[in-house]
Amino acid sequence: MATEVIPTDASKLKSVAQIAEGTAYKPLPQKAEDGYVTAHAIQTIAADPQTLYTLWRNVEAFPRWQEYVVSVKELGAGKSHWVMGNPEDKDGTRVEFDSQIERDTPGERIGWKSVTKGVEQEGVVTFVPAENGRGTIVTLIQKQRVPGGAVGNAVAAVAKRGPKQIVIEDLRHFKEMVEAGEIPSVAGQPHGPRGVTGSVKEWMLGETNPTPPGSSEQR
Amino acid sequence: MKAVCWMGTHSIEVHDVKDPEIINPQDAIIRITKTAICGSDIHLYDGYIPTMEAGDILGHEFMGIVEEVGSEVKKLKRGDRVVIPFTIACGNCFFCKDNLWSLCDNSNPNAHVAETMYGYSGSALFGYSHIYGGYAGGQAQYARVPFADVGPIKIENDLSDESVLFLSDIYPTGFMGAQNCNISPGDNVAVWGCGPVGLFAIASAYMLGAGKVFAIDRFPERLKLARECGATTIDYSDDDVIIVEALRDLTGGVGPDCCIDAVGMEAHSSTLVGVYDKVKQALMLETDRPFVLRQAFMAIRKGGTLSIPGVYGGVLDKLNFGAAFGKGIHMAMGQTHMHNYLAPLLKSIEDKKIDPTFMISHRIGIQQAPEFYKKWQEKEAGMTKIVIDPWQDTIANPVVRVMERHSA
Ligand SMILES: NC(=O)c1ccc[n+]([C@@H]2O[C@H](COP(=O)([O-])OP(=O)(O)OC[C@H]3O[C@@H](n4cnc5c(N)ncnc54)[C@H](O)[C@@H]3O)[C@@H](O)[C@H]2O)c1
Ligand SMILES: [Zn+2]
Ligand SMILES: [Zn+2]
Repeated sequence: MATEVIPTDASKLKSVAQIAEGTAYKPLPQKAEDGYVTAHAIQTIAADPQTLYTLWRNVEAFPRWQEYVVSVKELGAGKSHWVMGNPEDKDGTRVEFDSQIERDTPGERIGWKSVTKGVEQEGVVTFVPAENGRGTIVTLIQKQRVPGGAVGNAVAAVAKRGPKQIVIEDLRHFKEMVEAGEIPSVAGQPHGPRGVTGSVKEWMLGETNPTPPGSSEQR
Repeated sequence: MKAVCWMGTHSIEVHDVKDPEIINPQDAIIRITKTAICGSDIHLYDGYIPTMEAGDILGHEFMGIVEEVGSEVKKLKRGDRVVIPFTIACGNCFFCKDNLWSLCDNSNPNAHVAETMYGYSGSALFGYSHIYGGYAGGQAQYARVPFADVGPIKIENDLSDESVLFLSDIYPTGFMGAQNCNISPGDNVAVWGCGPVGLFAIASAYMLGAGKVFAIDRFPERLKLARECGATTIDYSDDDVIIVEALRDLTGGVGPDCCIDAVGMEAHSSTLVGVYDKVKQALMLETDRPFVLRQAFMAIRKGGTLSIPGVYGGVLDKLNFGAAFGKGIHMAMGQTHMHNYLAPLLKSIEDKKIDPTFMISHRIGIQQAPEFYKKWQEKEAGMTKIVIDPWQDTIANPVVRVMERHSA
């Protein structure tokens, strides 16, 4: 990727997330151009930055809370191998790629970038203590190639959600896992006959979304 | 199991569906012993709450016996008798810790739908549309209850099911409705709607020190129950009655200190503006009919508090916000923060301060649900509260208490 739109400096994010006194609001990167979508999500999570950093840094545990991650293998030196797809659909599409953690500041920030040819995504997550004592302000920014097809955007290739919504749901699930110990789900619950429109709207019903289990050992 | 399903506007069917299973580690499965139809269910029946889908299992007022618990459930065990609050809360987020349980951050799997419509998502509810989580409801033989250590309250006395069932929603809702209007000892309180929520609001207002309570409705049997609770009643269908004037006269020209809208989005009115609302609502230009809010804005005293337990879902039209502003009123509203009220209100029942069964008019079997949804929506004579026994198909004589419809 030619231009770097993702702020790599946690202090820049801090000024937006916490509205430092006497500064003007500057929007976080959120745009779609040149075939890339940059999206962000922000949540205040009731835990300290170090705990959240440690959970996020444990890449092999991502299938516990992120949708459409089948497995992750830590390869050492910040490199990991990712298999994306619907974990509940054994014969479903799988997209594999390697990811490299590039900026890693314990307790503060993790930045990563895909290093497999054809898959283009990068991201950064920052952990800033909330000044009001409500925990940690977690900001996730991701830039990815769209339309993905089987290459380019590995998540969009297998998920039903749009690229912006994926970022929002990923961070939401992280928060749910940390705070509630599980990710709310109605997947597979009973219901009466859905009729014709019901099946069309299954994305909205949430009953067919593969919800990750969300148990966190640290809790 | 058998379950009452929403199949479309004004279409309710009982279907055989699969039994619920544990999905998450903090879930419990409840074998339901009693469940009820709520005024809120009418909004679903009439199709005014968006994101209902054919096949959705209805019901958010239920109790029963714990059948099975998930691996992380510590406080409940198989065999416990419990009442389930209709709001689903995680117990650990900022909102739960602040006792704002119906605003829990972590219970709605479809939070993104609510965010599109409301900016942020409240907690999930049982059996109340996909925007509120899409959880299968409790007008069924079994239900899955998430966060089982957080919500359900154990009943460890020999009170009947019907004595404690309304802890699941309407008693706490009426109570919070009264609490939200900041009653000081001796205050005059006006309550619109003498349905179950309004009746509990009247009783609760007195518990909280109200001087006089004025109750407004048009159905004689409901007004009679309101009088049994101690209220002075006003029949708004009486041609000689103008509500704002009645409340002014009854409060020495001041207006009620506290007003409670226990009617919500489907307020009835025969006036022209009411007809206008009905037409607009039918044409989907307006989602809610704010007739009671309009009256309350005019009737309330200067600096008074308006509490709104009645449900609103969307866009309101022709609301005199200037009246609310000009008189500097306070407003409080929202889904009930159920978890705050379960223990204290259970105690009020145990201490015999209130017997919640007084409003039950009908007891039915599950196969009678479609027929009684219709009767309930039409406010057929004598229907004040319907309890369902999901293990009986039909109860031959459903009338529990005869509530006659002739003016007193
Ligand atoms: N906030 C919550 O968490 C919560 C919980 C439960 C119920 N509710 C809501 O509370 C409301 C009442 O519930 P309910 O079970 O008592 O319902 P209900 O339908 O049995 O009662 C409503 C009553 O309002 C009366 N009414 C209609 N138009 C009126 C008007 N213009 N003036 C005065 N009275 C009028 C009706 O005649 C009826 O008796 C509903 O909107 C319901 O959705 C809210
Ligand atoms: Zn209810
Ligand atoms: Zn919560």
